[in-house]
Amino acid sequence: MKLLETLFLLILLSLIIVAGNVVGYHIDIIASLTAVLILVAIAATGYLIAKLPICNKLPTIFWISLVAVVVSIPQFPYSAWIIETTKNIQFVVVCTPILAYAGLAIGKDLDMFKKISWRIIPVALAVCSGTFLCATVIAQLTLDSKGII
Amino acid sequence: MKVLTDWKLHLLALLVVVITELIGKHSFGIIIILPMIFAMILGGVISLPKFHILTEKNMKHASTIMTVSLMLLTARLGLDIGPNLPHIFEAKGALIFQEVGHFIGTILFGLPIAVALGMGREAIGATYSVARESNIAIIADKYGLDSPEGRGVMAMYICGTLFGAIWMSILATLIGNLNIFHPYALAMGAGVGSGSMMAAATGSITTLYPDMSEAIVAYAASANLMSSILGIYIYIFFSLPFAVKMYDVFTHLFNKKNS
Repeated sequence: MKLLETLFLLILLSLIIVAGNVVGYHIDIIASLTAVLILVAIAATGYLIAKLPICNKLPTIFWISLVAVVVSIPQFPYSAWIIETTKNIQFVVVCTPILAYAGLAIGKDLDMFKKISWRIIPVALAVCSGTFLCATVIAQLTLDSKGII
Repeated sequence: MKVLTDWKLHLLALLVVVITELIGKHSFGIIIILPMIFAMILGGVISLPKFHILTEKNMKHASTIMTVSLMLLTARLGLDIGPNLPHIFEAKGALIFQEVGHFIGTILFGLPIAVALGMGREAIGATYSVARESNIAIIADKYGLDSPEGRGVMAMYICGTLFGAIWMSILATLIGNLNIFHPYALAMGAGVGSGSMMAAATGSITTLYPDMSEAIVAYAASANLMSSILGIYIYIFFSLPFAVKMYDVFTHLFNKKNS
């Protein structure tokens, strides 16, 4: 996808997020817009870094995370303002449009889904449960033994 | 700019988001359904081929936008990691060890069931990972997508796309309600390496423990990041060979029992 189109899509998505935030959580529209623009700036910066030579060896989400982490550590100038401002948009609000688009894309997979055997359904649920449960159990045991929880 | 100018799609997405956020979260018994899950269901109904609302092209565009929207989610999640960095470093041992659970869990739970249900080598492709895009690429490279392993990974990919997020949201609520596990442990468990599954599970956990929501998001995001970045190497060098080995073991066991 083109660079410019990605940037415009980020802005379009952020407007949908703002709409969800205003109707669902009654957060002021200006506060929501400021918060979402910070997210766009972080995402765009990470995305651009991931396009650079050498940096493109690591996935885009790594670079976006890195930018977000760096601007939110206390040593970064304005980090307190960035954290306070972006708290106006909770992470679940960002998820709603993601899964809305995921839902709108479902139709194209249904034909293929009808062709596969029903057996995959219990297997798929077991696979998802297995990865969640095994990691949770190990995390619980390790956190407990270190005295963190 | 074809994706950007697909106004019908964007207007429908806006409509779905506004409606589902107005509905808000609702509980059915002990299961809490968040707006994001309603959004996926409502979006799915709109995209049903028999309604002829969206074309194949619209739906392809919707998939493309998902990758862009995950960038915004990644940015939001990262902002909760920064302030919690000291906690994350303190828990680094747990974060590393729990990854073993993420990678081994799909095979331990999925493979015996797949073999018991009579799946052939499809079981290997279907259970060696949570079957996201990079996992398809690994199987395509080694076996080709026309092979049994390739059909397995594709079937799991489609099934995970359709039910993954909804199932993870329900599962996280159910396991959270048992009160056996600390919310931080649940949060790490939620970082399965798929953005939408992780988001759905984490949403449920923060709903159960709203006071700890920031730390929960930080742990879940860190675990998810590790799963995604380390994933590709672990899948190639550990998960896939291990799944092949376990497939041989389980088919041997089941054949013995049946004969």
